[in-house]
Amino acid sequence: MSDNSKIQRNLWESPWGYVESFFIGIGLMLTGFFLEVMTTGNATITLSYPMNIYVIVGYVLLLIVLYKWFTNTQLIRWLTKVPASISSIVLVTVLVMIMGIIPQVTSENSIINNLGLNHITSNWAFLLVLFQFLTCLGLITIKRLFQFKWSNFGFILNHLGLFLALTAGMLGTGDLQRLSLNTFEGKVSWVATNQSRQEVELPFAIHLNDFLIEEYAPKLALVDNVSGEVLHNNGKNLYLIEKGEQYIYNNYEVEVEEYFTSSGRIGDRFARVNDLGAPPSALISVKNTENDSIVNGWITCGSFAYQYQSLKINDELSMVMTIPEAKKFSSDIDILSKDGEKTTTTLEVNKPFKYKGWKLYQLSYDDKMGKWSNLSVIELVRDPWLPVIYAGIFMMIAGAFYMFWVGNKITKNEQNDLD
Amino acid sequence: MTWIDFPLYSTLILITWVIGIVFLVVSYKKPSFIKFANILFLAGWTILIVFVIKLWLELDRPPMRTLGETRLWYSTFLPLIGFITYIRWKYKWFLAYSFGMASLFLVINYLNPETYSKTLMPALQSVWFVPHVLVYLFSYAVLAASSIVAIKGSYDSFKGNFKLETLKLADNLVYIGFAFLTLGLLFGALWAKEAWGHYWTWDPKEVWAFLTWMGYLIYIHYRHFHVHKTKQALTILALAFIVLLVCWFGVNYLPVADTSVHTYTEY
Repeated sequence: MSDNSKIQRNLWESPWGYVESFFIGIGLMLTGFFLEVMTTGNATITLSYPMNIYVIVGYVLLLIVLYKWFTNTQLIRWLTKVPASISSIVLVTVLVMIMGIIPQVTSENSIINNLGLNHITSNWAFLLVLFQFLTCLGLITIKRLFQFKWSNFGFILNHLGLFLALTAGMLGTGDLQRLSLNTFEGKVSWVATNQSRQEVELPFAIHLNDFLIEEYAPKLALVDNVSGEVLHNNGKNLYLIEKGEQYIYNNYEVEVEEYFTSSGRIGDRFARVNDLGAPPSALISVKNTENDSIVNGWITCGSFAYQYQSLKINDELSMVMTIPEAKKFSSDIDILSKDGEKTTTTLEVNKPFKYKGWKLYQLSYDDKMGKWSNLSVIELVRDPWLPVIYAGIFMMIAGAFYMFWVGNKITKNEQNDLD
Repeated sequence: MTWIDFPLYSTLILITWVIGIVFLVVSYKKPSFIKFANILFLAGWTILIVFVIKLWLELDRPPMRTLGETRLWYSTFLPLIGFITYIRWKYKWFLAYSFGMASLFLVINYLNPETYSKTLMPALQSVWFVPHVLVYLFSYAVLAASSIVAIKGSYDSFKGNFKLETLKLADNLVYIGFAFLTLGLLFGALWAKEAWGHYWTWDPKEVWAFLTWMGYLIYIHYRHFHVHKTKQALTILALAFIVLLVCWFGVNYLPVADTSVHTYTEY
C-alpha cells in the first residue's frame, strides 16, 4: 500500500525527505561525537542568570524571525516538516537509549570514555541532536500559535508545554542550587555543601530540635549457616515479628514467645531496657515438623552498641532477626533568619517545607546509628525556573486530558497534508 | 495474609475465565453463548476485585510496590479495557485477548510466590504513589492491547485481508494509552520533586519511561502524516511495545539497574 507514487527525485532536491533528514541528523550526531573525542574532559557550559535568560529570549526571538521572514528558505521549510521532526525524535531516542544501557558512571572502556557515552546528558552529540529537536519543536509551535485555531488547542498545549519544560529545564540548571546540610540535635548549622563539595554559607540557620525515626518491627528470616543467604521463598517472604504469632518456614514452625522493641541482655536472657543503642530482641521457639524436635532461644539484630545474636537450629540453618526498616523519619527544626525571625516546622520525607525561595527536604541520617542518630541531613533546593517548568508540565497534563478526551478524531485528515 | 489465599482466588478466577473464553469461541457459531461468556468474565473479574480490595486492606499500604503487585493490577485493568472496547466496537477477539492476557498474568503470579511484606519505605509514602502507579499500569494495559491489535493487523495483511479499521482501533488505543503514559510520567516528575528535590534525574527507570514515551510519540507522528503506510506503522508500534516491556520488566536486568531508585522489589 504505498500511497506516495514514487516520483524519481535526487538527493537534496526540494523538498527534503527522510533520507536528507537522517543525513543531517546523523551528521550532527557524528559531529558531536567528533567534538567529544577532540575535547578532553567535561566541556559543559552551564549558563546562569542572567545569561540563560538572554539565550532563551534570543533563541525564541530567532525562531520567530526565522518563521516570519525566512520560511521560504530550504532549511526552515525542512525544519517545520514532518521528516525533520520524526528523524530528530528518533535520534534523541537512540542517544537516550545508550544512556539507558550504559551506566552513566566512570568507565574503564576506552570507547565509552572517548565518545563520552557515560555522560550522555552533557555529550555534544546529544546536545546537538537535542538542539535540532528543540528547534523543530519551537518552529512548529510558533507556526501553530501564529495561525491560531481552536482545533489546534490540544496541539499547542502539548507542544508548547514540552518546549517550555525542556528549554527551562536545560537552561535553568545553571541557577539550580542543591545543597545538603548536616544538622545535629541541639545545634545550629548554616554551612552547607553543594554538589561539587564546596562549602556554601546559607542566608539562614537551622537548629535541629529533635530527630525521630519510627521503625517497622524487625523481620524473621531463615538463613543458611554457610552461605549466609536467606532461604524460604527466595528470600522474599520475611515476616514482621509480633508477639504470639506463629510462622511457617519450610518444615519449621516458629513461634514468637516474647518480643521487646528495645532491650538488653541480662545473663542469658533479654529484658526491656531503654538505653542508647538497645536493640529489639525476641524469644522464639522453632519446631521441626519432621521429627518434632524443638529449639528455642533469644535472637536480636543488634545495633551499633550490641552484637547480633542468631539461633542455630542445626548445623545448616539458623533463625535471624533483620535490622528494622525505617517507617518514617522526621526532623523538628527551627529556621532562624538573619533578622532574628524564628520559624518552627517538621521535615519529613515527601513533606518538604518552603522557605524564602528555598525548599527544605529531609534527606537522610546516620544509618549506622539508626534510630539513635542525632545527625539529620537536610537538603536545600532553590530552582527559580521551577514556575516555568511547572507551567510546561501542567500544559502537558492538560494536553494529555485533551488527547484522552478528543482521541484522534481530529487527526483523520486523509488528504495527507504535510504540515 | 492475603497473598497466601491467592492460589484459591486465582484458581477460581481462572476457571471462570477459561470457560468464558471457550464460550466466547463457541459464540462465533452460536451467538447466544456470548451472554454466558460475559457473565463468567464478569464473575471472575468481581472475584479479582474482591481479592485486590482485601489485599489492600490487609497490607495497610497500597499493593503497588513489587512487580507481582503490578502484575495483579495489570490483570485487573485488562478486562476493563476488554469490556469497554467490546461495548464500544464489538470486537469479540479483543475481549478474548484481554481475558487471555489477564489470565496469563494471574498464572505468572501464581508461579512466582509474592512478597507478603507490609513495609513501605518512606519515599513511597506519598499521595502520588497510587495515581502514579495506577495511571501507568492502566496505560501499559491499553498499549499492550494496541500492540495485539497490531499483531492482528500484521497477520491480516499477511493473509491479504487487512482492513484500515484495525489500525484505527490501534490508533484509538494508542491515543488513550499515550495520554495516560504522559500523565504517569508527569505525575512521577511532580512526585520526585516532593520526595527527592528534583523532578528529573535520569534514573534508569526514568530513562526507559522516557524512551517508551518517545516510541509512542514516533508512532503517533508517523500515523498522523502517513495515513496509508500501514506496514511501517505496525512495525513502529511493535518496537514501541518492546521498549515498554524493557521499561517495565527489563530495567532490573540491565547493567544500569544498580543505579536506579526504582528497584523496590528485593524483599
